[in-house]
Amino acid sequence: MNRLTALLLGSAAAVAATAAPVSAQQKAPLSILRVIDADNYDPIRSTSTAAAEALYMLADTLVSVDFDMKTIKPGLAESWKVSPDGTTYTFKLRTDVKFCDGRPMTAEDVVYSLKRWTDPANKSPVSFRGGQVKDIRAEGDATVVYELKEPYSDLLFQIGLSFASVVDKNAVEKLGANFGVQGFNATGPYCWVKWTPRQELVMKKNPHYTWGPPIYKDPKPQIDEIVWKIIPESNTLMAAIQAKQADVTYYMPYIALDTMQRMPGMQVQRQDNYIYDIFMGFKVDKPVASEGVIREAVNMAVNKDAIAKAIFFGKGQTLPALLNASVLDFDKDAAAKMPKYDPAAAAKLLDAAGWKAGADGLREKDGKKATFTVYGIRNDVNPRITEAMQADLRKVGIDMKIQLWDATVAWGKLATQEFDAFVMAYPYVTATEALNLYFNSRQAPTPNRMNWKDAKTDEMLKAAATAVDADKRKQAIGAVQAQLTEANVWVPLVSQPLWVVSGDRVEGVRAHGVYGAGLYKGLDIKLKR
Amino acid sequence: MLRHTLQRLLLALPVLLGVLLLGFLLMQVVPTDPAQVRAGPTATQDIVEAIRRDLGLDQPLWKQFLIYVGRLLQGDLGVSIINNVPVVQELGNTIGPTLELMVASLIWAIPLGIAMGTVGAYFRGSILDRAIMAVSVAGVSLPVFFLGLALIWLLGFKYPLLPFTGRMGPFWTWDGFLAIILPAITLGGVFVGPVARMTRSSVLDVLGADHVRTARAKGLTERAVVMRHALRNALVPVVTLIGLQIGFLLGGAVVTETVFSWPGIGRLAVGAILSSDLPMAQGTIIVLSLGFILINLAVDVLYAVLDPRVRGA
Repeated sequence: MNRLTALLLGSAAAVAATAAPVSAQQKAPLSILRVIDADNYDPIRSTSTAAAEALYMLADTLVSVDFDMKTIKPGLAESWKVSPDGTTYTFKLRTDVKFCDGRPMTAEDVVYSLKRWTDPANKSPVSFRGGQVKDIRAEGDATVVYELKEPYSDLLFQIGLSFASVVDKNAVEKLGANFGVQGFNATGPYCWVKWTPRQELVMKKNPHYTWGPPIYKDPKPQIDEIVWKIIPESNTLMAAIQAKQADVTYYMPYIALDTMQRMPGMQVQRQDNYIYDIFMGFKVDKPVASEGVIREAVNMAVNKDAIAKAIFFGKGQTLPALLNASVLDFDKDAAAKMPKYDPAAAAKLLDAAGWKAGADGLREKDGKKATFTVYGIRNDVNPRITEAMQADLRKVGIDMKIQLWDATVAWGKLATQEFDAFVMAYPYVTATEALNLYFNSRQAPTPNRMNWKDAKTDEMLKAAATAVDADKRKQAIGAVQAQLTEANVWVPLVSQPLWVVSGDRVEGVRAHGVYGAGLYKGLDIKLKR
Repeated sequence: MLRHTLQRLLLALPVLLGVLLLGFLLMQVVPTDPAQVRAGPTATQDIVEAIRRDLGLDQPLWKQFLIYVGRLLQGDLGVSIINNVPVVQELGNTIGPTLELMVASLIWAIPLGIAMGTVGAYFRGSILDRAIMAVSVAGVSLPVFFLGLALIWLLGFKYPLLPFTGRMGPFWTWDGFLAIILPAITLGGVFVGPVARMTRSSVLDVLGADHVRTARAKGLTERAVVMRHALRNALVPVVTLIGLQIGFLLGGAVVTETVFSWPGIGRLAVGAILSSDLPMAQGTIIVLSLGFILINLAVDVLYAVLDPRVRGA
C-alpha cells in the first residue's frame, strides 16, 4: 500500500512538475484556432471562408486587397493596364516568384490557373466571378492578357479573391481530385505540409518568398510553421487562448471579448472595414411579403440597434443601410432612404394601408393575416436575432413565424420556395458584386432568393458591372441601391466586425478580413518566444 | 461453448444488416442536400444539379442502396464527398485515437470503480461509504461535456497543468501522455460511478454468504477474505456491467472527442454529419455499431465462461 501511495504521489508530482510549463514549451509553431474546417483547399472548388483564410497564405493572386477593402494593390502582378473599352486587362508579372517546390512561376502558370477557375467545364461554383471571359493568354514569360467579352468593373476585386489563386499545373494534374486535399503547391508565403481534415492544417514557411504585397511592412514570412487547429467547442477554444495553449483566433465568442481585452498581454483588434453583413430578405412574390407596405413596416418596427447591442454583447454594429458603409461604391443618398426605427409610424403606415388589427392583435386585410415565415440557419446568433425581431413585429401586429434549420439542411431549404423571408449573413467585396449576385433576375431562385425580377434593376446592374468609368459605375450601382432600399426588399440588420484575439507570444498581427480571412497573407506576424 | 459462441455470432449478423439499412435510410431521411452544401450558398441551380449528378445522388434510392451494399461487400465504404479520401482510410486514421482514449479511460476507471465499491461495501454505512456513494452518484449524474469543460477550466486554465486542445502524439510519448490525461479522466469519470455502485451491491451480497463466514471462521485475514473470497465471487455481474458500459462509452467518446478536439471516430462522425458527408457518416455509423455489437458479443461469451448455466440457456 505504501509503495502504491508513493508511486501515485511520485507520478502526480512528476506530471505537475513537467506539465506546468506546457505553454512555455510550445515555442513553435504559431497556433491559430478556428471552429470549422474547409471542405477542401482547392481554390476553385471550395466556397467556404474557412478555405479562403488558409488559401491566402498558401497561394497568391495577381493583385492584393488593402486593409481598407477598397484599394487594389500589386500582388503577383507588379502592374496592370486596362484597355480604354474595359475589355482587356494586361498584367505585368513579377519575375522573382517561385513555387514552394522551387520552380519559377511563369505567365503560363497564371494563364492555366485563371482558365481553370473560369472554364465552365470545371464546374466551379465560383467561375461566374471571373466575368465573361473571351480569352486568357500569355504574352512572353511575364505578361498575361485577360480578355473579356464585355467590360467587367469588378474584375480586379474578383481576381484578388482566393478563388483566383495561382497554382502549380503539375501539382494539379498529378493530384487530380486530391489537389487541395492531399497536397498543394503554389507561390504563397507558406507551403502546404499536411492536412488532417476536421483536425488541423499544417503549413511551413516558403523559403523563397520575398514578394509579399506592399500592404505589409515586411514582404517575407517570419514564422517557420503555422498550425490551423480546429476546436469545434467554443468554450474549449476560449480556454485554449486564455491558457496560452494557442496564439491567435478570430472565432472568439462575442461574450468573451471583454474578458480577453482585460487579460494582461492579450491583444484584441477590431477590423472596422470587415464586411460580413446579416440581413433578412423577402420573397417579393409571396402573398404577404409581396406587399411593399408590410416590408416597409417591418423595416421600421425592428429595433436593429438593440439587436446589435444585446445579441452581439455590444460588439456588433447596426447595419443602417442595404449595404455596408465600408464597401466600395456605397451610396449615402440611397442609405438615407432606409426607413428609421419608429414602431409608432410603422403602425400608422399599416393602418393607412388598410391592415387593421384583429381580435388577436394581429393585423389583417381582405381576410389575409399579416403573417409570414422566415427561414434561416440555426447558428449561434440567428435564433436570438429572429426572436427579437418576432417580438418587435408582434408589437405592430405582424406575426413572424420562425423556422431555423441545421447548417447541413439549411442551404437545401433556402433553395426552395417554402418560405416568405430568410435571414442570412454574407461576405462581399464591392457593391456591384453583392447586388449582381443577389438581385440579378438570372440568379433566381438562388442566390436571388427574393425572386426579384426587374428589368430596370437588371439594366442598372449590367451598367454597373460593365462600366469602364468608376463614376458611372458608382452612379449605376447607387441607383440600384436606391431602388432596392425604397422597395424594402431587405431588412438590413447587423454588420459583424472582425475581432482578432492574439496572445502575448505574437506581435505584428493586424486584422484584415477579405472574404473572411482574418489574417490574409499572415505577413508581419512574428513570434516573440 | 463453441456452439454458444457461434449462435451469438449468427444472431449478430441480422443486427448488423439492420444497422446498415437503418444507417443508409437515416441519412436519406434527413432533409440535407449534400450537393447544395458542397456547391455553397451562392451557387446557381445548374451548378447544384451538375454536382448532384457527379455524386450519383440523382439515382433512385434503391439503386443507391444496392450500389452501396455491393461496394460494402467488397470492403469499399466509398469516398468522402467532402475531401475525396476513402472512408476506410479515414476510419483507419481515427479508430486508433478512439481506442487509445477508451483504453486510457478504462485503465484507471475500472480498478478505481471496483476499489471504491469494495471499500464502500466493507465499511457499509460509514462516512467513507456515504462519501464514496456520493461521488458515484455524481459520476453517474454529471454529463460528459460538463465534466470535460470543468476539468479544462480547472486543470487547463485556472491551474494550467495539462494541455486540452487535441492529441499530441501516441500516449507513450510524453506530450501524447499529457494530452490524453484530461480526456481520459472525463471519459473514465462516467464509468467509475456505475462500476462502484454495482461492485458495492455485489460485494455486500457476497459478504453475507456462507463461504465468506467459513473463510473468516478458518482464521483468514480480512484482506484475504475480501480479496480472495468475496470480491472474486462478486465480480460476475460487475464484468457484465463493464462490458455493457464499454458499449455506452462509445457514445461518451463522441462528446469527449468534440470537447477535447480529439481526432477519434466520434469526432469524425459528428464532423461528417455536420458537413453532410454521407459516405463518411454511414461509415462511422457502421463502425460504431459494429463496435457495440462486438462488445456485446464478447460480454455474452464471457458471461457464459463465468457462469456455465448460461451456456445451456
